This record gives sequence, C-alpha cells and structure tokens, in this order.
Amino acid sequence: MRAETLKGHLDGILLAVLEPEPRHGYAIMEALRVRSGGHVDLPTGTVYPALHRLERAGLVQASWSAAAGRRRRVYQLTPAGRRALDTERSTWQDFSAAVTALLQPAPPVMSSP
Amino acid sequence: MTRPGPPDTGAGPAVERYLAEVTARLPGPARARAGIVAELRSGLMDAADAHRSAGVPPARAAGTAIREFGAPAQIADAFRAEIAASQARRVAVILLATGPLVGLLWVAAAAASHLGIRLSQPWHWTGLSPVLHLVAVAIGVTACAALVGIATTGRLTRWLPAWPRGAPMAAAVAGFGAMGADGLGLALLAGQLATAPGRLSPALAAAAAVASLARLMLAGRSTRRCLAIRASLA
Repeated sequence: MRAETLKGHLDGILLAVLEPEPRHGYAIMEALRVRSGGHVDLPTGTVYPALHRLERAGLVQASWSAAAGRRRRVYQLTPAGRRALDTERSTWQDFSAAVTALLQPAPPVMSSP
Repeated sequence: MTRPGPPDTGAGPAVERYLAEVTARLPGPARARAGIVAELRSGLMDAADAHRSAGVPPARAAGTAIREFGAPAQIADAFRAEIAASQARRVAVILLATGPLVGLLWVAAAAASHLGIRLSQPWHWTGLSPVLHLVAVAIGVTACAALVGIATTGRLTRWLPAWPRGAPMAAAVAGFGAMGADGLGLALLAGQLATAPGRLSPALAAAAAVASLARLMLAGRSTRRCLAIRASLA
C-alpha cells in the first residue's frame, strides 16, 4: 500500500499502533509493517513528521529515553488520543461495512421452480 | 518537548551525509532542527541495526536504511509545515505573554508621571489621544492575531482543516502589531522627552522604554523568521 492510498488514515493507523504500548519511531514503523502483514510500506522517514503533528494536536505525547546507549523519542497515546482512536475506529468500521456491502457481487436472482 | 541531549555518535558517514541533506532543507532555528535530526538519526541507526541482524552486510545496512527512509526533500517537506506551526505558536505565545507585562510598565510609568503632568500646564492631550488610539488598535491586532496563531497550531488542529501558511502569517501579523504598539510607545516617550522631560518619572519611564525596545527587537526578529518560514512552504 502506497502513501497516497493511506492518506487520510495514517493518523488513525499510528494511533492504533501506539495503543498497546509506547513506541519509538523505528518500532512504530516495524509494528506498521508487521500488523499490516507487510502491506503498509511507507518511506520510513515520513512517520516522524506525522508523529510530530499528532503530538502538536495533543493526541500523543513524546519523551526522550535512553536505552542501550541510544536516545530515542518515545511516543505514547494521551487520553485524547485514545478517544480519537475510538472515533476513528467506529467511523472506519461503518465506512468499510458500507463499502464492502456495496462492492460485493450482487447475489444471483433466485428463480422460483 | 524534552531535550534530545548531545547527539549520538557512530551513525556512520552515509547517515550523517543524509541527515545533513535533510537539515539543509529545514527552516527555522537550529534548536528546532537539532531535535528533529537527533530523532531521525536514532531511527536510521535502529533501521540499520535491524538490517544487520537480518543478515545484510554491515557495509550495506546503512544504505538500505537510508533508501527506505525516503528522499531528503520528501522528509524535509513534511517537517517544514511542522516547524512552521511550532515556530508560529512559540512567537504567538511569547508576544501574547509579554504584551501585558510591557503594557503594565507603561501604565505605571504614565500614572507615576501623570501626577506631575496634571499639576502643570494643560498638556498635549489633544495631540496625544489619536496616538493612543493607534496604540490600542495595535494592541488589539497583536492579541487577535496571536490568539489565531495559538488556536490554529494546538489541539484545535484535530478539527480544523490543515492551513500550514496561516499560522506563520498570524504570528507575523501579531509581530507587526507588537512592533507598532511598542514603537508608538517609544515615540510618545521621545516626544515627551523633547517637550517636557521634567514631568516623567525617570525610573519607570526608563524601565518601560527598555522593555518596549527589547520587545520591539524580539518582535522584529520573530516576524522576519515567520515570514521566511511561510515563504518556504510550498
């Protein structure tokens, strides 16, 4: 899946990846790849500006932490981020259910014997 | 935002070259860029480590991580809007916070000097009042523009449509307003010094003048920066 296809959904996807636990940039990218079964393959550098935007909007909060001699910026969901994720999730479920129903091949018309 | 601390070393020349290319394309003060670059560096090093662990020869691991990261221009473009927003917000907050402090100094200076004025000749109140009106307008413009700048770069961005060039413009307008208010204040003081220096309360007038001069220079520099960042946004 390319960046253009994901456009508009990247924020929700990033929030979902951060839901289980706080993660740093590379771990977020890895989680995206693994959880999408390898379908999400963005230029890895593009998640960082997206994360900064989410931080400014108060949906995630970031802090520097040092582990194994490397400093990383770790992101975690804020309460507002959790609420935004819930909203994003239900909006997506309604949308995808509607589109799935619409895109399904129409069932054959039953002819009475 | 917490501080990144001193940069990691050992990222390798290819990563440093790549980061230098990104940095060269980022606007804004060095401090804002340093945090971003430190974060990108650790991300690239993590990616290179992962490639090495997966069996990519060490010499090629960094190159692979860099290729996956995206073109420097692409990353810098995406960050430019972020830097613009955070800079605009910073400028708007500073101008909004310093305004009342400087204003209070002027009011105190005027009040302390006023007693002397009132006891003296009927003064230039007729000439003074239009200038005071202008000061009030400048203060109003500063406050409104700064509030717009703050509102469009914070939590409201969740619901507002993206408007990357708006916030730096609002901050620049606030900067012009502040320059106007402080400049007019200083001009009034200069007029007073020229016509009736003895009526002024020297300590308070000097304090107000110094504060306004400092804010005038700060607003000038910030406005120039905001306009430059705005111009750098495609």
